[in-house]
Amino acid sequence: MTGGGVRSLRLDDFDVDGAVRDTFEAMQHHTRSGFLRQTAGAGLAALGAAAVWPSEASAAASSDVTILNFALSLEYLQASFYTEAERIGALHGALKQQADVVGMHERAHVKAFKQLLGSKAIKEPKFDFHGVTESANTFRSTAVAFEDLATAAYKGQAPMITSRSYLAGALAVHSVEARHAAWIRRLAGFLPAAKAFDEPLNAHEVVNLVNSTHFVTLRDPETSARTSPHFTG
Amino acid sequence: MVVLPGDSTKAGRPPLGHLSRGTLLKGSIAGLGALAGAAVGTTELAASPNAHGSAATDKEILTFGLLIERLQAAFYAEALRSAHLTGEAHQFAKVVGGHEQEHAKFLESALGPAAGKSPQFKFGDAVTDPAKFLATAISLEEAGLGVYNGQGVNLTPATLAAAAKIVSVEARHTAWARALAKELPAPVAVDVPVSVSQAKHTFQQFIVS
Repeated sequence: MTGGGVRSLRLDDFDVDGAVRDTFEAMQHHTRSGFLRQTAGAGLAALGAAAVWPSEASAAASSDVTILNFALSLEYLQASFYTEAERIGALHGALKQQADVVGMHERAHVKAFKQLLGSKAIKEPKFDFHGVTESANTFRSTAVAFEDLATAAYKGQAPMITSRSYLAGALAVHSVEARHAAWIRRLAGFLPAAKAFDEPLNAHEVVNLVNSTHFVTLRDPETSARTSPHFTG
Repeated sequence: MVVLPGDSTKAGRPPLGHLSRGTLLKGSIAGLGALAGAAVGTTELAASPNAHGSAATDKEILTFGLLIERLQAAFYAEALRSAHLTGEAHQFAKVVGGHEQEHAKFLESALGPAAGKSPQFKFGDAVTDPAKFLATAISLEEAGLGVYNGQGVNLTPATLAAAAKIVSVEARHTAWARALAKELPAPVAVDVPVSVSQAKHTFQQFIVS
């Protein structure tokens, strides 16, 4: 599994063998327009719609806010997943330790990003993990996918951050997500570091993958499905 | 004993001395403090200037990165020859050593003629004693990861994008080494950057010429 530096990240790189894999693969059949139509109505608002079209953010500061909110949404997702696993209590031994420690980290990331963003922080969406936290096998494969995904997502966003402070923070979280990925991959029987170079994912790809899992449920379907209002005044 | 690139007392080497403390790391530490601070309940975030770097700074940072990758590659290659590693420790050294070689090649190609020749390294019992090998691997990986993290804010966006592909792999190596040593692979929620001078302290002892 030695890889070049220029290849894009593929599903195989996750080596996921469970609930997430099926949904990720199903996603690949969607056309781009199909994806946009689908995400406009499902999950996208919950993930922070602006993050999908960073070019719409005009000022530098607002694009940083968009990126931090994008990061926050991924941290919400992960924190909720580990917290649920801890609450359900189906994990034992090394796996339980991983879930407890990593869950603590993800909750700390949520708290940090929320405080950095203040009133601009997006609200936490509702999640439905469809039972993947209820067994060691599905927990493991989902955690591998989440952590590799988060690592690739931070890597995709970091070069676009304009503030040095935010960039430093994002880099410091990026490498922790990579540690988490290595940790859970090892427990799942995969090489912790499968390739010499980790590839980034852009916001479109990340949201697409997350939405394909249907883990993000709508807080309020009627309002979330609506497009942005026009301001006429 | 050789002087690491960046020691401004030696002519003919790219000076990294001005990267080692103060100004260039300030942004990094402020940001980290803000995130880490927020995590423990404080909200302070100093207003800070925006990024980002220059071609000259990129080159200096990548040159230091190349030294780290060459040193790590040599370390794993020697350990594979001399430490009688077995099982997962052997697999770790083989896989990670291969990555470090690829990183070195990548940086050599990015730097071109400026890459220069690799110094000579001497690792002593760190490559003959399996326990010492693992402890040294953790220390080298943590220092390498930490210095990449610390200097990331000083890179131009394009170079940062390239370097970030290496950084998370170093983080995976670090976690793997720690797991093998029965330590927590990810001990803290936010990784602490390592200054160039701290990193030099870790690497210097293994450089002989």
